[in-house]
Amino acid sequence: MFFRNKAAVAGLFLLLGVILMTFLGPYVYDEDPKDIVARPLKGPGTEDVPGLGTDYLGRDVLAGVVNGGLTSLRVAAIAAALIVMIGVTIGAVSGFYGGVIDNALMRFTEVFQVLPALLFAMVVVALFGPSPWKVSIAIGLVLWPQLARLTRAEFLRLKNMEFVKAAQAIGSSDLRIIMRVILPNALPPLIVATTLVMGGAILLEAGLAFLGLGDANEVSWGLMIGQNRTNFITSWWTVTFPGLAIFVTVLSFSLIGDGLQDAFNPKLRGR
Amino acid sequence: MKRFAIRMLWSIGLVLAVIFLNFSLIHLAPGDPATVIAGESGAGDPAVIEQIRADYGLDRSFVAQLASYVVRVAQGDLGDSFFFNQSVVSLIWARLWPTILLVATALIFAIVVGVLVGIFTARRPESRLSHSATILALAGYSMPVFWTGLMLVILFASVFKVLPISGMRDVQFDGGLLASWVDIGEHLILPAFTLGFLFLAQYSRLARASMLEVLQSDFVRTARSKGLSERVVVYKHALRNAVIPVVTVAGLQFGTMLSGAILVETVFNWPGLGRLAFDAVLRRDAPVLLGVLLVSTLLVIVVNLLTDVVYRIIDPRIRVGSAAA
Amino acid sequence: MVPEIETEASSPILEVRNLTVTFGSFTAVDGISFSLHEGQTLAVVGESGSGKSVTALSIMRLVELGTRGRIESGEILYRGANGEVTDLVQESEDAMRQVRGNQISMIFQEPLTSLNPVYTVGDQVAEAVMLHQRLGRREAKGRALEMMRQVRIPDPDQRMGQYPHEMSGGMRQRVMIAMALSCDPRVLIADEPTTALDVTIQAQILGLMRDLQRTRSAAVMIITHDMGVVAEVADQVVVMNQGQVVEAGSVFDIFEDPKEPYTRALLAAVPRLGSMAGRSDPAPFDLVAP
Repeated sequence: MFFRNKAAVAGLFLLLGVILMTFLGPYVYDEDPKDIVARPLKGPGTEDVPGLGTDYLGRDVLAGVVNGGLTSLRVAAIAAALIVMIGVTIGAVSGFYGGVIDNALMRFTEVFQVLPALLFAMVVVALFGPSPWKVSIAIGLVLWPQLARLTRAEFLRLKNMEFVKAAQAIGSSDLRIIMRVILPNALPPLIVATTLVMGGAILLEAGLAFLGLGDANEVSWGLMIGQNRTNFITSWWTVTFPGLAIFVTVLSFSLIGDGLQDAFNPKLRGR
Repeated sequence: MKRFAIRMLWSIGLVLAVIFLNFSLIHLAPGDPATVIAGESGAGDPAVIEQIRADYGLDRSFVAQLASYVVRVAQGDLGDSFFFNQSVVSLIWARLWPTILLVATALIFAIVVGVLVGIFTARRPESRLSHSATILALAGYSMPVFWTGLMLVILFASVFKVLPISGMRDVQFDGGLLASWVDIGEHLILPAFTLGFLFLAQYSRLARASMLEVLQSDFVRTARSKGLSERVVVYKHALRNAVIPVVTVAGLQFGTMLSGAILVETVFNWPGLGRLAFDAVLRRDAPVLLGVLLVSTLLVIVVNLLTDVVYRIIDPRIRVGSAAA
Repeated sequence: MVPEIETEASSPILEVRNLTVTFGSFTAVDGISFSLHEGQTLAVVGESGSGKSVTALSIMRLVELGTRGRIESGEILYRGANGEVTDLVQESEDAMRQVRGNQISMIFQEPLTSLNPVYTVGDQVAEAVMLHQRLGRREAKGRALEMMRQVRIPDPDQRMGQYPHEMSGGMRQRVMIAMALSCDPRVLIADEPTTALDVTIQAQILGLMRDLQRTRSAAVMIITHDMGVVAEVADQVVVMNQGQVVEAGSVFDIFEDPKEPYTRALLAAVPRLGSMAGRSDPAPFDLVAP
């Protein structure tokens, strides 16, 4: 059913394209993005200038785009893993046990929910340093609440169903019920949410890099945009192409997430 | 009324939790807390460090420090910025209103246009305009907001030179009050649109889904059976019900909007809290950053409370004190 | 179709001829015909999926709004107040809007979801009156209050300002009836009006509908799957199965001497008083053959 949704399939192809470019691209297009290859701020199509032009230092924009994905995807992937681990755990425990535990955990979640995401990530990175791990952790710390709430909602919905009572009746431990009985049934909306969270993590990482809070040693799309801010009006290629890369990547996740949601929930398609 | 009082109390508790978080961050960060507070500007000067140690009582126990910190904040003292040479509170106060103006405008724009687009695409789901709107919507929230801003700046700086692309006012401005507002308004258009566009996408999809669902409900069928025109059915009966999830989500996303505002203010040079945060980050100015974090969080909490109120006004089912007969 | 002026006594107020309604490739109503006379109650009976609700929605031309239903063929002849007969199938949407709520009204099965939760009950009852009779807000409210009294809602003044979720199911259905009758329609279509209500309330609502019909000499078409309801209120009966009319006649004929096996099966599905006498366990019912 997912494959019938044209947009979702397009998203899948886009994502594959991005992954291919990120992992194979640097071998195919062999330039080092940190090398200065020509005069600075020369547009695409100018003589002696590589494909997409040069940035403010004279570095190859195309090389930057091809190589920049790795950092973003890596940071986002780690952050997403953290988000899922923290969010699902808290949500599952909260939803399953209810009562005081639920209350306490939800209050705790609320504290992180009211913090504006980028701002908090900025504070963490500003105080603790911008290594890629710290950036991942910062992003993970801000985005987990929504996944927690979703998991909790699913658990609340599922825990009173017959098959759960059956498992309890044969004496399964709580942990077993949570992990093997309820969680697999809660997966569809969680998978959708995770794809969307990946997109959000990429945007957040790009935002941090743009503001100068990413890892300054690694090339990343957000960093490219941020570094070329002073002359971007005349040298549009320095910011347009990296931004396009971010856009396409996040779009692919959005389309896939959308397609999955459609596949799991046909009512919303409308007529 | 009682429920509201409980919510207020809990909100205060939230604020205290955030203050505690701030305090913990200062102490968890690598390096001496005094250096952290001094930031890049103050850290070089030993006299400044000494002063900070005394002011914040950094030699005392953790609990004592926390207590005194909370008291300071409650009294409205968020510390000083060594870079700007001003108290944090005065810095924030000056930048607060531009940010609120920006975010409020973007929010209203996103909700109103989003709902209208949502209604349109729900009523004519097969039309080409609907498909384009859906695609545009999807694109909208996949674009990094700072990139959208930069693209618009390029567009309006080099191609359509009709709108100002930087700052909140004209530098050489020299007119009266009304003209001053017009000037600000002109400068507001691009940044507000950029910020709003991000959410417009989302709200129009939400409104569409909600409207589609509402249009299938029984009470819409009843309204039609009374002979009401389709226009009345949609805009009077369906709309108020369909708008509920949009309002709820918009309220919950205020924090995200503030985050977006940071990036938009940086791109458009809009003199608000976001820009302040960016400047503070460059200088590792902890008091300012933490102050902005606290104030922003406060705003989010207030908006959450307001959303609750608005929600109750729109939907009588959840007003306090009603029960089925 | 040339409008014919017919005498009231003999001719039906509503006549359905060879109506066929489809949803895509599925035929929900397959060439049915029946007629409804003033002052009469016609019951359309059948199981779920027999096409009875679709028939009702088609008369109001609501079946095409919001669903993929299409009236393929047939006529729905309505005799207006001036004696003129028009074919509702051919009428424009604008013309139908004059008819709906005004000359032909409908009440639905689920009173909770059939009322808009965000507006007061009084507002919703007054709405039709404001639209069709062009009354001002205050007069419309007055009329709404009057209607609420007629449907025997206690404390109508206070109830006007209440919201649907603040009322019980029976009360909400009374509101729906008030809403439907507010413009004095000549035909009332009731689609399973009591199915969602408790049995005791059911009796009250049916009694109310009977009384109101008597005072207004309106024609009532009641759709139900419950033969008990049919026995209580109907004058004429139309039995439907899988989109077709299986049998039709007066309520006495149908109950005393059902001719078709399907009709007999429907009747047999109603538990008879005393059928369990002398047993200590309940006996299983015969399943109705499809």
